[in-house]
Amino acid sequence: MAVTSQCSSDGQELTIRVQGRFDFSTHREFRDAIQNCPRKPQRYVVDLRSTEYMDSSALGMLLLLREEAGGDSQAVSLRNANPEIRQVLTISNFQKMFVLD
Amino acid sequence: MQAILEQAGVVDESAIRVLVVDDNRTNRMVLTALLKRHDYEILSAENGQQAVELFERERPVLVLMDVMMPVMDGYEATRQIKKLAGEVFVPVIFVTALTDEGALVKCIEAGGDDFLSKPYNRTVLKAKIDALMRLREAYTVQLSQRRQLAYHQKHAEDEQRVAERLFAGIVHTGALDDSNIRYSISPMAIFNGDLLLAANTPSGALHIMLGDFTGHGLAASIGALPASEIFYGMTAKGFGIGDIVTELNKKLKNVLPTGLFLATALLELNFATGSVTVWNGGLPDPIMYNPQTGIVTRFRSRHVPIGIMDSQMFDRSVELFEMHETDRIFMYTDGVTEALNPAGEMFGQDRLESFFEQAGGHDSQVDQVTEALEVFREGGKQGDDITLIQIFCRPADAPSQSPGAAQRAAKPPAQWNFSFEFGPHALRNSDPLPMMVNTLMETQGIYDHRERLYTVLAELFSNSLDHGLLSLDSALKKTPEGFMQYYAERQQKLEKLEEGRIRVMFHHRPHGKGGRLEIEILDSGPGYAVGQARPELAANTGHSGRGIPLVRSLCKELIYNPKGNAARALYEWD
Repeated sequence: MAVTSQCSSDGQELTIRVQGRFDFSTHREFRDAIQNCPRKPQRYVVDLRSTEYMDSSALGMLLLLREEAGGDSQAVSLRNANPEIRQVLTISNFQKMFVLD
Repeated sequence: MQAILEQAGVVDESAIRVLVVDDNRTNRMVLTALLKRHDYEILSAENGQQAVELFERERPVLVLMDVMMPVMDGYEATRQIKKLAGEVFVPVIFVTALTDEGALVKCIEAGGDDFLSKPYNRTVLKAKIDALMRLREAYTVQLSQRRQLAYHQKHAEDEQRVAERLFAGIVHTGALDDSNIRYSISPMAIFNGDLLLAANTPSGALHIMLGDFTGHGLAASIGALPASEIFYGMTAKGFGIGDIVTELNKKLKNVLPTGLFLATALLELNFATGSVTVWNGGLPDPIMYNPQTGIVTRFRSRHVPIGIMDSQMFDRSVELFEMHETDRIFMYTDGVTEALNPAGEMFGQDRLESFFEQAGGHDSQVDQVTEALEVFREGGKQGDDITLIQIFCRPADAPSQSPGAAQRAAKPPAQWNFSFEFGPHALRNSDPLPMMVNTLMETQGIYDHRERLYTVLAELFSNSLDHGLLSLDSALKKTPEGFMQYYAERQQKLEKLEEGRIRVMFHHRPHGKGGRLEIEILDSGPGYAVGQARPELAANTGHSGRGIPLVRSLCKELIYNPKGNAARALYEWD
């Protein structure tokens, strides 16, 4: 599985991890992974520590997740992006729509 | 469809027809009698030659073949029958008295599918026929599916080609073939997810747009139709790139589903004023470089791509750069930097930028980079759409005209004044900026200055509204989290606004060869200290920066009154 997710014990936060390439081929897995809490969580974290590459389809999936989270820029955090992926995110100015740390 | 398959002998509705080939009459009769009991229709031949002829005429589905026969032996007959059958599977079973291994190997080599040694067991013969018929059936189904697939694929390609021609009419090349432009477009499929457009404005400036839709192929290119209509239509009517990106965002936000967007940069090259105006949302930095001086400038992406933000949050602000005739601008999509070699390495930004760091050299960086990419990929497959464009920052020899463009030149400078006043209702429900800029353009025809005047007015106006009337703190905009909060607060306060107004006055006088435009703006708020409330402006950094210093650089003069609720800007043109 390239995409895994884990719901926090209180059910408030869902952490999604993407391994290897984050692109169009992971679309279905990503959609499944974001539905992994019994109820809709308050916050989403996308952990990119094992992500090697990210294309514009992946950016599109992050926008879908943001919409799922209610369209608030605080609801989705993107964490541990390597410098190349951070660059992909900042070229599209995603720091304006996500918490990037 | 059915006709195609029948013609190929794939579909056969009649009884199963078996060809028995043997020069011995008794053998033929025994086999015929045996097979007839199982409801096969039997054809028989006395030698290979006859067998081939019969096969050609009657197309049996299975052949029982003797080896040693006069005229033509079983090996040769089998070779010829297999050749005639083509891609249809016709099983051939050799029925032979030969038992040495060499002869049996020869049977298979000739194209035989199985063999049976005489004297044969009837049950084994029947079992072998049944096994091969099952194989044939599976093969036939597969062949039929393959043909259907090929048929549908061809059909889809034909349809795509028709659509491609329709597409080319709308997403046309515009001014791309002008003498100051070199470009290269290499889509991965028939339809391109990259979009490259160019058009000359009525006042002689050049608009360039390079965009990259999410993904590639047909789905990615659908948005290209409305995008190019807006680009060409608005350019021909004299609108600036800020107006164009606003309209593009409004339209594409509407038609594209969440997750699909357009990373794009729009450039306006103004040869008369020696400046280039840039709006970049998500495209790799276009590079302006000078082969003589070696100076390299990057047009960074300042915005979120098109089709993501709601209209009220969309930021249309542009950046201005000085431009010289010897400058060149190079733009590309990420298919270039993300191209892979067989070892899985990316071409990368450093490799690309090395072409611009060496001054002088090649005349066409498009050719140079294209060649370098080909060498780098070592014959590997292209993984994304790739588009490159290079613009020489001087007017084209014979600039192409946008279809439907009205020739618009500045009108002789005249003396005129007008003023606008906006109350809470108008501020809430309309965007006064395009209306004011349009009035200026209609009155004086200075389309060359549209984008600059828009920038000046937008900055003055948003200061009066956001800080003067709504008392918003722009320090909020410095952090990414604050950015959204700022707009949410702005929306709330604007909805609750009950009193207050903004007045804008324009006075125009002839000046030199051109004119001088005085813009006065006054709000009914308590006043705000431009310098103190917004220290980041002085440094021209952060997310909200660029404003007032940019206005100062565009205007001859910019003065705020001591109270901080009125400003006076002086703009000159010639």
